[in-house]
Amino acid sequence: MSTASLARGSSNALGAQLKRLVGGQEMILLLCILAIFLIVGSLNPRFIAERNLSSIFLGNAYVAVAAIGMSMVIISGNIDISVGSLIGVLATISGTLAVNGYPIIVAWLAPLLIGVLVTGFMGYLVAYLRMPSIVVSLGMLSILKGGLISVTSGAWISNLPAGYALAQLRPMGVPMPIWFMVGLTILAAWWMRYTAAGRSIYAVGGNAEAALLSGISPRRTVMMVFLIHGLFVGIASVLFATQLAVIQSTVPPNLELTIITASVVGGVSILGGAGTVIGSTLAAVLLAAIGSSLIFINLSPYWLRAVQGALILVTVLADLLRRRRQARRR
Amino acid sequence: MLKTATTVAGLCLVAGLAQAADRWDGADELAVNPLGCEAGATATVTPKPYDGGAPTGAKDLAGKEITLVDVPKLIGIGYFAATTQGMQEAAKELGNVNVKTDGPTEANIDDQITFLDNFITQGVDGLLFAANDPVAIAPVLKKALGQGIHVVGYDANSQPDAREWFVNQAEFNGIGKSMVDAMAAEIGEDGSFAIVTSTFTTPNQARWIAEMQAYAEKCHPNMKWLETVEAQEDNILSFNQATTLLNKYGDELKGLFGMTSVATPASAEAVTQAQLCGKVAVVGLATPNAMKPYVAADCVKSVVLWNPVDLGYAAVQVMRAVADGKLQAGATEVEAGRLGKLPIVNGSEVLLGAPFIYSKSNIDQFDF
Repeated sequence: MSTASLARGSSNALGAQLKRLVGGQEMILLLCILAIFLIVGSLNPRFIAERNLSSIFLGNAYVAVAAIGMSMVIISGNIDISVGSLIGVLATISGTLAVNGYPIIVAWLAPLLIGVLVTGFMGYLVAYLRMPSIVVSLGMLSILKGGLISVTSGAWISNLPAGYALAQLRPMGVPMPIWFMVGLTILAAWWMRYTAAGRSIYAVGGNAEAALLSGISPRRTVMMVFLIHGLFVGIASVLFATQLAVIQSTVPPNLELTIITASVVGGVSILGGAGTVIGSTLAAVLLAAIGSSLIFINLSPYWLRAVQGALILVTVLADLLRRRRQARRR
Repeated sequence: MLKTATTVAGLCLVAGLAQAADRWDGADELAVNPLGCEAGATATVTPKPYDGGAPTGAKDLAGKEITLVDVPKLIGIGYFAATTQGMQEAAKELGNVNVKTDGPTEANIDDQITFLDNFITQGVDGLLFAANDPVAIAPVLKKALGQGIHVVGYDANSQPDAREWFVNQAEFNGIGKSMVDAMAAEIGEDGSFAIVTSTFTTPNQARWIAEMQAYAEKCHPNMKWLETVEAQEDNILSFNQATTLLNKYGDELKGLFGMTSVATPASAEAVTQAQLCGKVAVVGLATPNAMKPYVAADCVKSVVLWNPVDLGYAAVQVMRAVADGKLQAGATEVEAGRLGKLPIVNGSEVLLGAPFIYSKSNIDQFDF
């Protein structure tokens, strides 16, 4: 191989990478966020004041964290629609432990452990018993939602101990949930891109048989994805539970939809095999920015639902068109 | 696409502004009946004929010892523990009333009917209830009336003809007056405020907002309404909406009204986390337990609601008056012990009186 061709090869690779970055979903989302900041900020400069920017990034940080795990689940070719109920249950467990005098660290870590157990159970049913994930998680949604209302009868948890409010800490002046959102996104993005285990999620979601032939166990990969998902759900639950001084101990309405929307709008293909967690995090921030801008331009928050829906349709359509174009090229 | 979006946004903005000139967002279109501006003012009551039911062949119980059973929506929660406490206080004070509370452990209408049915079979002099469903509970209450048992409701009504009297904890105009007066006391007569509600179309909230607007225009004309935002019954959304209002209006915003027991603590939390306690007042409808941390921290001064202890107390007093023949169709008021004379409204309802303001001095006495 000559040096010239080597150089060309690497410059082509660099060009492709650049093109992917610029043309990719992440860049579109980033531009959308900037456009909202510019337009609404020019209408009312308070929109881009530090206070409001902080609120926007903070507002959906727990959604972004949960969307990391959700993105992995969707990339592996599955889905979890019980995630909103699970967050409600884990937040209630965490708060209950905290008010009953357990050490705060236990109240913070228990949701992670229980989250992994619950999603691990779902992962087992999906990976080893071949049950469709939508059915498994639909069942889990009903169990969690019904169980939570039966046990708590909707009573709120208050009088949380001092020091419990993890999400209200501000290391170096930046709210804790933003640290979690950024840190976990970078970590997960790196892991999914540069490790064999991370790459195997794409392989299994893209084509399970081909993955099997190349020595990847789809079962083990799906199981792993669900376990990791539980961990992220657990972290999101703690951020959710500690954001306010009371815990509502009901299932937050439509939370699973918001999380799945963040993943899908973030460019995670609902058919599996493609997408990044950077995209889903940017999408979560975009949704928060839209929500905030609706108040600044005096629009009903119900428009947020409509905009969310439109974003999903546009992204999925774009994904399908892209796939069709690629298939034709082959 | 951006152009279309901007056009749509523009149109909605115009529509929103046009509406704002007329009614506060979220207010309904029904007629309003604001109370007088002075403290303790009561409404001008439009007389309405008695529309409650009557027991057939009721015994003469005047002055005699009576046994009552109270079947609330559910037992085991602080709210109905408080109404039970009030009932026991009234029974003790009267001396010739025995009352016990029993009911389902979940707010389930079928279970509640079973409880009522059993007590009718056992035979009691009177039934007190807070209905889980106004229509479904009617047949069993009518059965009780048919056997000469007195029936009085409180907290949650049934169809009027299925009971004799209903103790109404608060009327919309009373809540409207209490809310606006409390806000005016905190932010002054020319302060600006915003409202966090559940949705613009929720009936109770829409009615309260309409009465608040009517009362504010009548008694506090210089207070300025900025905006109403919807936050459903979602804790985190309520917090985010309240925070965004604080961010949007800055120093201009002096007060936030919370219209639901979710929106009020979330608004208080938003003010707390924005470190604006003392600069932005929060006044709202909420249960005391959810508000205790903010009241203790002096971030919230007035939580508006009725007092469930007084509600239970009044229900037993009304029942005693019925048994004694002192409260009959066409009455305009009823003597209710330590609460004084309570007015009769809407044909067959006893009004508990002005809403109760929970504040630092009394909130710790309540647990619901």
